[in-house]
Amino acid sequence: MVCNEFLTDIILTELEDAVGKENCSTREIDKITHGVDFFWLSRMWADRGRRMPEADFVVSPKDATETSKVMKIANYYKIPVTTWGGGGGSQGGAIPVAGGIVLDTKRMNKIYEVNTEAMYIECGTGAIYKHIEWAANEVGKATMHYPSSLTCSTVGGFLAHRGIGVVSNKYGKIDDMVLQMEVVLPNGDIINTSATPKHAVGPDLNQIFIGSEGTLGVITKAQLRIYDQPEERRFRGFLFQDMHGAFAASRELLQKFKPSVMRLYDEAETASLIKKIVGVEKKGAFMNIAYEGVKEMVEVEEKILLETFAKYGAEDLGSEYGEKWWKEKITFFYPGHMMDLPQMFGTMDTIATYDKIEKIYWAMKNAIETKYPFAKFIAHFSHWYEWGCMMYDRFIIDGEYVPKDPTEALKLHQEVWTTGIRTAIANGGVVNDHHGVGIKLGRFVHEQYGPAMQVLEGIKKQLDPNGIMNPFKLGL
Amino acid sequence: MYMSEKSKQIIDACRFCWMCRHICPVGNATGQERNTSRARALGLSVVNRGAAELSPDIMDNIYECQMCEACTCDCATGWDPTYFTKEVRLQAALDGKTPDYINAIVDKVLETGNIYGAKELDADLAAAIKAHAAKEDVILFLGAEARYNVPTAAQNAIKVLEAAGVKFTVLADEPASGYALDWLIGAADETKQQMTDCAAILAGYKTVVAFDPQDAKAFVREYKEYDLKVGAIVTFTAFVAGLIKDGALKVKNTGKAVVFQDPYQLARMLEETEEPRAIVSACATLNEMLLNRKDTVWAGGSFMAIYNPLVSELVSKERWTNAINVGADTIVTASVSEYAALKATAPEGKTVLSIEELVLSAL
Repeated sequence: MVCNEFLTDIILTELEDAVGKENCSTREIDKITHGVDFFWLSRMWADRGRRMPEADFVVSPKDATETSKVMKIANYYKIPVTTWGGGGGSQGGAIPVAGGIVLDTKRMNKIYEVNTEAMYIECGTGAIYKHIEWAANEVGKATMHYPSSLTCSTVGGFLAHRGIGVVSNKYGKIDDMVLQMEVVLPNGDIINTSATPKHAVGPDLNQIFIGSEGTLGVITKAQLRIYDQPEERRFRGFLFQDMHGAFAASRELLQKFKPSVMRLYDEAETASLIKKIVGVEKKGAFMNIAYEGVKEMVEVEEKILLETFAKYGAEDLGSEYGEKWWKEKITFFYPGHMMDLPQMFGTMDTIATYDKIEKIYWAMKNAIETKYPFAKFIAHFSHWYEWGCMMYDRFIIDGEYVPKDPTEALKLHQEVWTTGIRTAIANGGVVNDHHGVGIKLGRFVHEQYGPAMQVLEGIKKQLDPNGIMNPFKLGL
Repeated sequence: MYMSEKSKQIIDACRFCWMCRHICPVGNATGQERNTSRARALGLSVVNRGAAELSPDIMDNIYECQMCEACTCDCATGWDPTYFTKEVRLQAALDGKTPDYINAIVDKVLETGNIYGAKELDADLAAAIKAHAAKEDVILFLGAEARYNVPTAAQNAIKVLEAAGVKFTVLADEPASGYALDWLIGAADETKQQMTDCAAILAGYKTVVAFDPQDAKAFVREYKEYDLKVGAIVTFTAFVAGLIKDGALKVKNTGKAVVFQDPYQLARMLEETEEPRAIVSACATLNEMLLNRKDTVWAGGSFMAIYNPLVSELVSKERWTNAINVGADTIVTASVSEYAALKATAPEGKTVLSIEELVLSAL
């Protein structure tokens, strides 16, 4: 860590030499803006007039070569390096809690190749995903990665924490969409993972770095799959009397075909968000299904869907609500539609097999609403597999119950998370499904993995012996 | 520093929201996190809470915004980050915190009416203007950008109207519209005075044809806000589209394949997207590039070309990339300043045409 003015100036000149003066900053505005991400605690801290931990330097390399130079400098001086993509993460993963260098990837936004024969786009990981989508659209293709943060987050950000989009059921998570990656290791070496992700040449190197949250290196380039635009995309809304029937119906459906969108809202979220944005007034658990692809197959899928869901007593709401949901799928997350300060809130997304997920839901809801009677617990279930699904559960505490003192608010926030995550783990869930770990959940990674943690720690120790990469994140 | 409740409300809404990042021309070109509405709002929210001073550094960030309103247009909730940006520019001016490089431009505008500090017109343009000194019902307001930065554009605008047989006036001593001061320091007394003086002159004409979208936007929006009465305001593109439609201006399609760069003032602020397309379609084969109509992206030039030329250059190059991605060799634009910026950054073999150049080539 930089400790005196003289050394700071020396390092600054070296970093400027690496990336160019205009791309190396010690400006206050750069430090402030890289100190607050989407993590509730960082937002609360700033809201209460506190300054978050800030970087000493903000550098923006244009490619792997410049990134390598930065890494060599950082490694020599043993300066922490925190990689920043879009800063839209909710786990504090991009916050430079130990100061040092913030390495902003957004200048690495070049689209190198749109390959319609092999169906991938090769781009710098600083590219905003929406721009990749535009590039795909220009040749009549699509990325099929549509998270709510599509317009604000980078390719690298999604890779760093294993992001997921709304059509994941058919097309997969980001880790299913990567062919090859270029990574700069902490020692400055530039490596490439294998030419294809499917092989028998040992473990998949892609999957070592995907989800590593900047703790093992900097992903600088990636080849991401693109897909044909579907001939047809149809929506169907359903109302289940309770979620139990919805789980059973969905499990059966997924043994038959994969819809693109599957989104089940619990009664509480149906009565709040879905009522407000989509307009569903009836009580129950709303579920939206989209199915897409070749028209003839879509026809067949629709028939299977209606027959399967009818068996479980789902009320067919037609296509209107589903289409409205699709149109508004990102609107949910704009200020004025989302929870916001002074409320305290968080998304404790987890994933589990079908035999456990419902139990986890009730256990977490019960634990949080019992221990914190002023908290609301709502959830939807948005990414489904043949074997289980993920739960996008949120706690919301209205501002009147949130301590005014920021330290006390921080403590309450930590407590609620501890209650929720420990309950998820105890009932067969995992720490997180697709938001990652960051500093928020680092303490639970050891609890989830137990002795298996030594695998991650061993990789970390080998690749980053000086421990400079995103310290205090991912429990590493 | 004083800040209105409305600005504070927008700042607090935007400070943790990145949803408009993908359409900010500056942020996309520079790749810098600070070039987002979120960053500007966060910086100011920190200032509002006493955790930072309104330092020169934060003020610089306020002037890294082109005020193109792409973010506003994109916001699903309807927040307008340019509102607080403009207000901070005004308050900084009142508090003596305007950056020196901005003050230098302000001084030029106050002295000469243009951001370049130019006092003499190009000789050919002066002659063309002189031919239209007589008072008519229609006045062609050329604007400072055309008169002093791209005089050929001003001359071509005059030629287009002449070709259509329009009787019109062009003022030798055209007043500043006030758009420049409005952009630089917001609704200051100096801005209002310049607009008031200009309105007084323009009020003597039935129709004001605004050649530069920057001026047109000021006439339609800010003049209305200050209750300044002028004649009917028509953009040059709408006026020319009308002339073509009425048969007064006869053009033939040149067969040239082009894309059109919507000036953001026209497309977003004045909601004019089809009139220029009618012109282009009459004169050439129009294709569309990414981010068109109200989703258009600023293509560089104007103020930032003076005090932050690297950003302007990067922005222009980004726009060229959009054009090249759809196979276009020629960009047509109706913005004088974007014309200059795109011309300066045109890749080899690529051409930028002003809309008046295109029309003249199709006569």
